[in-house]
Amino acid sequence: MSEFFTVAILTATLTSGIRQAVPYLLAALGEAVSQRAGVLNLGVEGVMLIGAFSAYYATLETKSAAIGLLMGLLAGMFMGLIYAFITVVMHAEQGISGIGIYLFGLGFTDLLFQKQVGTPRPIQGLKTKPMNWLAEDTGRVGELLFSHTILTYVAFLLVPAVYWLVTRTTFGLNVRAVGENPHAADTLGVSVNGVRAAAIVFGNTMAGLAGAVLVLDIVQNFQQNLTAGRGFIAIALVYFGAWRPLRVMAGALLFGIVSSTVLTLQALDVISGSVTSIANMAPAVLTVIVLVVVSRRIGQPAALTKPFTRDA
Amino acid sequence: MKYPRVFNLLLALLGVFALAIAGCGNDDDDSSTTQTGTSFRVAVVAPSASNDLAFTQSIVDAVRKLEASNHIDEVSITDGTFVVEDAGAAIRGYAEEGYDLVVAHGSQYGGPLQEIAPDFPETSFIWGTAVDTFGLPNVYSYSVRSDLGGYVNGVVAAQLTESNIIGVIGPVEVGDAKLYVDGFEAGAQAQNPDVDVKIVYTGSFSDVAAAAEAAQSHISLGADVLTGSAQMVVGATGVAQENGVLWFGTQANQTPLGEDIVVASQVYRWEGILADAVDRVKAGELGGETFIMTFAGGGIDIQFNDNFDLPQEVRGSAQATIDGLIDGSITTGQ
Amino acid sequence: MQPPMLEMRNITKRFPGVVANEGVDLTVLPGQVHTLLGENGAGKSTLVKILYGLYQPDEGNISFDGSPINIDSPATAIGIGIGMIHQHFMLVDTLTVAENVALGLGKQLSLTNLKPIRQRIEEVSEEFGLRVNPDAYIWQMAVGERQRAEILKALYRNVRLLVLDEPTAVLTPPEVTDLFVTLKQLTADGRGLVFISHKLNEVMEISDEITVLRDGKVSGHTRPAECTRESLATLMVGRPVELTRTLEAQTPGTPKLEVHSLAVRGDRGKLAVEDVSLQVHAGEIVGIVGVSGNGQRELAEAIMGLREIESGEIAINSQQTSTPTPKQVRQMGLAYVPEERMKYGSIGDFTVAENLVLTDYNRPPYVRRGVLSLSAIEQRSKQLVDDYSIRTPNTQTLTRKLSGGNIQKVVLAREFSGDAEVLLVAQPTRGVDIGAAEYIHQQLLTQRKQGKAILLISEDLDEVMALSDRLVVMYEGAIMGQIPKQEATTEQIGLLMSGVS
Repeated sequence: MSEFFTVAILTATLTSGIRQAVPYLLAALGEAVSQRAGVLNLGVEGVMLIGAFSAYYATLETKSAAIGLLMGLLAGMFMGLIYAFITVVMHAEQGISGIGIYLFGLGFTDLLFQKQVGTPRPIQGLKTKPMNWLAEDTGRVGELLFSHTILTYVAFLLVPAVYWLVTRTTFGLNVRAVGENPHAADTLGVSVNGVRAAAIVFGNTMAGLAGAVLVLDIVQNFQQNLTAGRGFIAIALVYFGAWRPLRVMAGALLFGIVSSTVLTLQALDVISGSVTSIANMAPAVLTVIVLVVVSRRIGQPAALTKPFTRDA
Repeated sequence: MKYPRVFNLLLALLGVFALAIAGCGNDDDDSSTTQTGTSFRVAVVAPSASNDLAFTQSIVDAVRKLEASNHIDEVSITDGTFVVEDAGAAIRGYAEEGYDLVVAHGSQYGGPLQEIAPDFPETSFIWGTAVDTFGLPNVYSYSVRSDLGGYVNGVVAAQLTESNIIGVIGPVEVGDAKLYVDGFEAGAQAQNPDVDVKIVYTGSFSDVAAAAEAAQSHISLGADVLTGSAQMVVGATGVAQENGVLWFGTQANQTPLGEDIVVASQVYRWEGILADAVDRVKAGELGGETFIMTFAGGGIDIQFNDNFDLPQEVRGSAQATIDGLIDGSITTGQ
Repeated sequence: MQPPMLEMRNITKRFPGVVANEGVDLTVLPGQVHTLLGENGAGKSTLVKILYGLYQPDEGNISFDGSPINIDSPATAIGIGIGMIHQHFMLVDTLTVAENVALGLGKQLSLTNLKPIRQRIEEVSEEFGLRVNPDAYIWQMAVGERQRAEILKALYRNVRLLVLDEPTAVLTPPEVTDLFVTLKQLTADGRGLVFISHKLNEVMEISDEITVLRDGKVSGHTRPAECTRESLATLMVGRPVELTRTLEAQTPGTPKLEVHSLAVRGDRGKLAVEDVSLQVHAGEIVGIVGVSGNGQRELAEAIMGLREIESGEIAINSQQTSTPTPKQVRQMGLAYVPEERMKYGSIGDFTVAENLVLTDYNRPPYVRRGVLSLSAIEQRSKQLVDDYSIRTPNTQTLTRKLSGGNIQKVVLAREFSGDAEVLLVAQPTRGVDIGAAEYIHQQLLTQRKQGKAILLISEDLDEVMALSDRLVVMYEGAIMGQIPKQEATTEQIGLLMSGVS
C-alpha cells in the first residue's frame, strides 16, 4: 500500500483522474443548464455516443481532428434540436423521450460503425498540450497542472463560463426563471419554449463534445457502446452538484479520481482477485450513495420535467 | 399521446438515413450460392459485422475457406445480430429452410439454441464459444484454449521487456479473457521469474476509455510491454502506440491497431473444427460433442507482425514453446 | 371627460363546451378604478387574460389610447403599458426581487446588471410606499411583501393600466388597507386600474366604475353611488340575495368539543399548531380566523384524526383521546366538512346518492348482511336532495358534474343530517356563489339553533364575523386571542391576524 503514496504514482493517478473527469464534466455541465431550464434529458448517453462516432468518423475520413471535433459538436447540436422538438414543441414526456434518445444513439452508432468502419481503426486525436512547456521545469505539481491536452483545459474553463452564463446573463436569468416558474416568465414576455429549446441545444452540444473528447483525447478509436454509462453518471452528477457548475466539477473530479485510483491500486496488486470486481463497482456504488445522500434535492428546479402550456 | 407518433416518425427518418449510408458502404457480406442436387448447406449467425477483423470475421473466413475447398457447397450468413432475439429468429429460419449445419457463433446464443434445436431433430447445430451441448443429440459446441496462445505471448513478451514490468488489461475476470490473462502471466513468469506482470481488470467489455486509462496507469508504473483481451482494448492499443510501448494481441490479428508496436497476436482458426463437424454430420452424427481448439489441431495460431523487427532467437523460442505445448512437455497450469 | 384609455368591445371567447365571454364590453378611463365583479366562472379571469395577451379572443376588438391593437402576447401588453397582478403570484421563488423585476428585460446574451434595477426599485418603493428589499429572495418573503414585489414589477415597466386579479384574497385586513392606499396613489397619477374581486365591501370602497359579469355576459354596469351591496349581489346571482345574517341570542350549553394544549406537526415536520386550547359549547359557533397557512388546516386534521397529535388531547362529548382516528371521532359524535370538498369531502365519480350515504353505507338500513340496500339508499338520498335543495338532475348523477355550491350542499347534507352533536366545518363557502353561500350560512345557523356545537374555520373574515358567537384568531399555529363577537372589531382582528397583539 505504501507504494501508492510515492509522489510519482500519486501524480500519475491524479493526472489520470483529471483526464477521466473531463467527459463527465462536459456532459454534466450541459445537463445542468438543461435541467435549470426545467428539461430533463436522460438521453445524454446516446447523444455522447453520437457525438463520439461523428467525431471519430469525420477524423478517420478527413485525417483532421479539428473537423472531427466540429462534427461532434454539430451532431450534439442536431440531437438537441430533435430533443427540443420532441419535448418542448410536442410536450412529450421527458423521461421516456430521453430513454428513446439513448436507445437510438446506442443502436444507431453501432449500426453506422459496423457498416461504415467495421473494424476499430485508430485515428490521430487532438492531443495538443498547450501548457506542456510549463510542466518541464515545475516538477510534479507542474505535471499535474500543465501536462494536459487542450480539450481538458477547455472543459475546466467551461466551468466558470457556465457559471457566468447562468448567474450573470439575461439568458441565464431566463433559464432559471423558466425552470422554476415558467408561467411567471411567460407573463413577463419571456419565450418559455424558446429559452428551453436553447438550453436543450446547449446541453446536447456539450454531450456531443463530451463524446468527441472521449474519442479524440482518450481513446483515439471507436467501439460499440464506447461511453459505457458515462452519460448516466453525468446525470447523477448534476443531482450531486445540486445544479451548480462548481459542485458538478467537484463531483466529476471525485469520480475521475476514484476510477483512476481503482486502476492504479489494481496495477500495484493492492487489490486483486475477487476484490477487483467489487472495486470496479466503486463509481457505481458511489453514484448510489451520492444520490441517497443528496436525495433532499435542495435546489431542484421546481418545473423540472413539466412541459409548459398556458392553460395549465 | 403525441410522443410515440413523433418519435416513430423520427426513427423512420433516421432509419432511412442509416439505410442510405449502409447502401453506399462496403456491403459485401451477404451472399449465397445455390447448387442443385444433394448439396451440403451451412448457415452462420454471428453478433458483429463480417468484416470486424475479430470474432465474427474469424468464423466467416473459416466457412468461406471450407466453401472454397468444396468441403461444403452453400453458405449463408446473418451478421450483426447483437440482439439475441434477432439471432434466435435467424437460427430458426435457417433450420426451417433445411440447412444441414447451423453455426451460432456467440456464447450468448445458448438460450435460443436450447429451445430451437429439439424442434429440428434432422438439423445439426454448432455453437460457441461454449462447452455445453445441453445433452441434445443434434448440438455440437466449440471452445478455444486461449491460455495456450497467452502463454506463448507471455514467453515472447518476457524476452522483450527492458523494465521487467508488463501490463495486462482484462475486461471482467471470467471466461476466455481470464484464461488468456492467466496463460500470459504463466508464460512470462516461466520465461523470466523476475518479470512483474501487473494485471488490471476494467470491469467492462465496452469501456474503451477505461482500457486506455488502464494502459496509461501501467505505463506510468514502468510497463514497457502491454497486452489485453476483449473488444475494449482498442483504447489501450492507441495509448501503447502513442507511448511507443509494445503490444501483444489475442482473438484476432491486431496488427492494424498499431503497425509499429504490435509484436504478435493469437489468432483463432475455426475451419479445422468446422470441417470436423461437417464430416461427422455427413456421416450422420448430428451432435453431442464439444470441440476444443488448441495448437495441435491448428485451431490456434500465433501471427507475427512482419513490420516488427523481432530477433530471430526470440521467434525461435516462440515456436519451441508451441511445440512444447503440443507435445505436453510444457503446460500452462490450466 | 377624458378619452378612454382602454376599450374592449364585444369580446367573445369560447372553450370546448363553454362560452367563457360573450359580447363583453369594458371601458377604462385614466385615473379610474374599474371593478370587474362576478362569481367564480363568470368570465372575469378570461377577460383579463385576453387583455394581457395570454388568450386570443374569438371575436371582438381592443383599442388602447384610441387606436386598435392586437395583443398577441404578454410582451405586447407590457410594451403598451399594461401590467397584471395575478391571483397566484407570478414570481420565481428562487430569484431575488431585483432578478424577478429584471426578467424579460434586456437582450439574451447581455449581462444582467442589477445595480440600476436595484436603484430604480428603491426609488419606486419610496414613491409608492411599497417596502421591499430588492435583494430578498421571494421564498423568504411573506404574502403581503410578495404582492408588493408584484406591483413593483409592473410599476418598473411604467405600467399605465394595471390589472389586479383578486389581490385581496390572500391579505389580512391591515394589508388590504395599505393596498388600497397604494391603489389610490396609482390612480392619482393618471393610471387606470382593473380590479377583480367578489368581496362586496371592498368593491364598494375602492371602485369608480363597476361592471358585473354573470355566465360570461355583462349583467350590469354601475357606480358605487348608484348601487348597494344587495343590488350588486342580485346582479351577480340573478336573483335577490339576503346578505345580512342574524345571530339570534341564545345561551350556550355544556362544552361539546374541548381541545387541550394541542401541538401538531405540519407537512414539513415543523410545529404547525402550538399549545392550542379551546372549547366549543352546545348551541355555539366558534370561528377560527387567520391568514391561510397559520395552522388552521392542521388543527382541523388533528381533531379529525387525520394528522398525528404531537402532544395534548381532544375531547368530544367528554370522551378524551390523544390518538384519535376518523372512525373513532365520528362515533364520539363529530361530523366534518373538510376544506377541499372535491378532494376530501366527496368522490367525484360516485353518484350523488352514493356520496350522501358515504358515512353510513356500512350500517343498517343501508346495508343488510353485507349487501347494500339500494332502495333504502335511494329513499334517504331523495329526501336529503329535497331537504337541502341540492340542484341535481337526479340522485344517480355523478357528483363531479354538479356546481361547486351543490357539491358543497351534498357534503353538508350528509354531515349535518346525522346525529353528530359537534360539527367541524372548514371553508364552507370557498368558491361557491353568493346564493349558495346564503343557503349554507342559513344551514349553519339552523344547526346552532338545534344546539349543535360548531367549530367554523374560514379565511373569509366577513363570514366568520357574521356567524360566530366567539372568534379565535390564529397566527403561526398559536392562538392570538379569543374575542366574543360583540367586542370584536375588524381592525382589532386584523392586527391579531398579522401577529400583533
